[in-house]
Amino acid sequence: MIKVENVTKKYGSHTAIDNISFEIKEGEIVGFLGPNGAGKTTTMSIITGYIEPNSGHVEISGYNVSKKARKAKREIGYMPETTPLYNELTPKEFINYMAELKSVPRKERKAEVERVIKAVNIDDVQNKLIRNLSRGYRQRVSLAGALVGNPKVLILDEPTVGLDPKQVTQIRSLIKSLGKDHTVILSSHILSEVSQICEKVIIINKGKLVAIDTPENLEKKEAGENTLLVTVEDPEGKINDTVKAMANVRDIKLVKEIPDGTKQYSIFARGDKDIRKDIFANFAKCGITIFELKKAEISLEDAFIDLIDNQKEEKSKTKEEIKKEKQEQKEKNKKDKENKKAEKNKEKENKKKEKGGDK
Amino acid sequence: MWAIIKKEVKSYFLSPVGYVFIGSFLLMSSFFFYMYTYTSGSVEYSSLFYYTTELLTFTIALLTMGAFAAERKNGTETLLLTSPRSITSIVLGKFLAALVVIIITEVFSLMYYAILCYFAGGITGVSESISTLIGFILIAMSYIAFGLFISSLTENQIIAGVATIVVLTISWFLPNLSESLYILSPINLFQKYPEGIIAARESITLITLTIMFLLLTIVVMQRRKNLK
Repeated sequence: MIKVENVTKKYGSHTAIDNISFEIKEGEIVGFLGPNGAGKTTTMSIITGYIEPNSGHVEISGYNVSKKARKAKREIGYMPETTPLYNELTPKEFINYMAELKSVPRKERKAEVERVIKAVNIDDVQNKLIRNLSRGYRQRVSLAGALVGNPKVLILDEPTVGLDPKQVTQIRSLIKSLGKDHTVILSSHILSEVSQICEKVIIINKGKLVAIDTPENLEKKEAGENTLLVTVEDPEGKINDTVKAMANVRDIKLVKEIPDGTKQYSIFARGDKDIRKDIFANFAKCGITIFELKKAEISLEDAFIDLIDNQKEEKSKTKEEIKKEKQEQKEKNKKDKENKKAEKNKEKENKKKEKGGDK
Repeated sequence: MWAIIKKEVKSYFLSPVGYVFIGSFLLMSSFFFYMYTYTSGSVEYSSLFYYTTELLTFTIALLTMGAFAAERKNGTETLLLTSPRSITSIVLGKFLAALVVIIITEVFSLMYYAILCYFAGGITGVSESISTLIGFILIAMSYIAFGLFISSLTENQIIAGVATIVVLTISWFLPNLSESLYILSPINLFQKYPEGIIAARESITLITLTIMFLLLTIVVMQRRKNLK
């Protein structure tokens, strides 16, 4: 459905997007994650054909966005981050204009505009001037502009920013229902939102693709091991021996002592074995009271922070490499210059000789 | 393109711009009409246009300065450029919308003709009037195209407006500098039309200027995709 291949965008010497490639299948809801300035908006602008990349290309339903722009753009509904709207129009007029721009046939236009107005729930303000609307309404009008004409691909840049909690849940469920017959790309910095709505997450940082996977997989990858968190009251201090005597336990570590006299430990199990039953039975035998027992879960948030921190380390390495390369090139340039100078001098001498010969 | 023309014309009249343009134009035309036509006892409708074209030099910027500059500043440019419309049809749409406002103005200015006919006791100077109106549309076209071009260069409306007025005023006096610069001066190219002549050379030059600046606008808009 959407194919992004080796896309690079540079602003002068600053590389906003560095050789990004990914593919999105029909009907997927994909979340774009990344810290501020990571290149989320730039990537989305390139997919919509608003910005031309320096190299690489984007295909939508098989149409190259820069070469077959009109056909590709017909497939897209785009809601920009800044929610640009014509202030002098009313929401209804605006949505109607967007429908006209997207060549919705005249006969269907009225019904289509009404459908969209209902979908984003702006009936009550549809005839007010956009100039006088609050941020939340503007946001929804902008979303309506993207939805009108029922494009196959929806690209939504931070669709829930500036909405109140009730509207946020409304818009989220709207996006989820749209995902049934649309391909949706949305960017967000609210991780819980992404893990709720999206089937796939693309994490980018500093213009580079860091990860592309389902939210569950990303969490699993980071969690890695089978770890339990237990909070116990252990007056006799028997916990270490008890746990180590158990068959499927690899290690135990004290996490913290809680002022009410209990202690929290993390217990690392071997392999995939579920040791919660064993722990319960053994602890009871030894007079250790369990206050809390749970699996240690790593959220998408942890995964996100971890991935981005990892990339920073790599980046610092590459920076050194870049420095080295630069130095090498400088040296090369110097040598080249010297060589050229030498050649020139030779030429001059030759010419002089020739002139001397002429004389 | 039709969608863009419709919306642009609507926007002209939803904001004060359209009314201010037509109002100020007619107000000053009436002033000239009284000063130079009415008081001198002339019944020539066409001679009025020597003055109104000069007026156009200063007021056309009102119509064109916001065309691209304001869209860029508000970010609504994104909506246009990501819609399945070619840049050519966007530029032409805006051009034709401004032309529609000019034609509306022209229709209003026919009232002076009606007044003159009343005083002359019959319909007078039909051929001169028609050639003048055609000439007026041609000069307006070249002005609009130039104004759109300037507007596509900046996101500041004021700068676009001032630059348009300054350059158009300079073009007015270009022939004083050198006779050969006559072809770059729409207002001087216009001089023959009120005499009842639709001159081929002048018409072609004005149309060429229009096409040239429209093409330049399209090129600028296309190039900006790579620079953004």
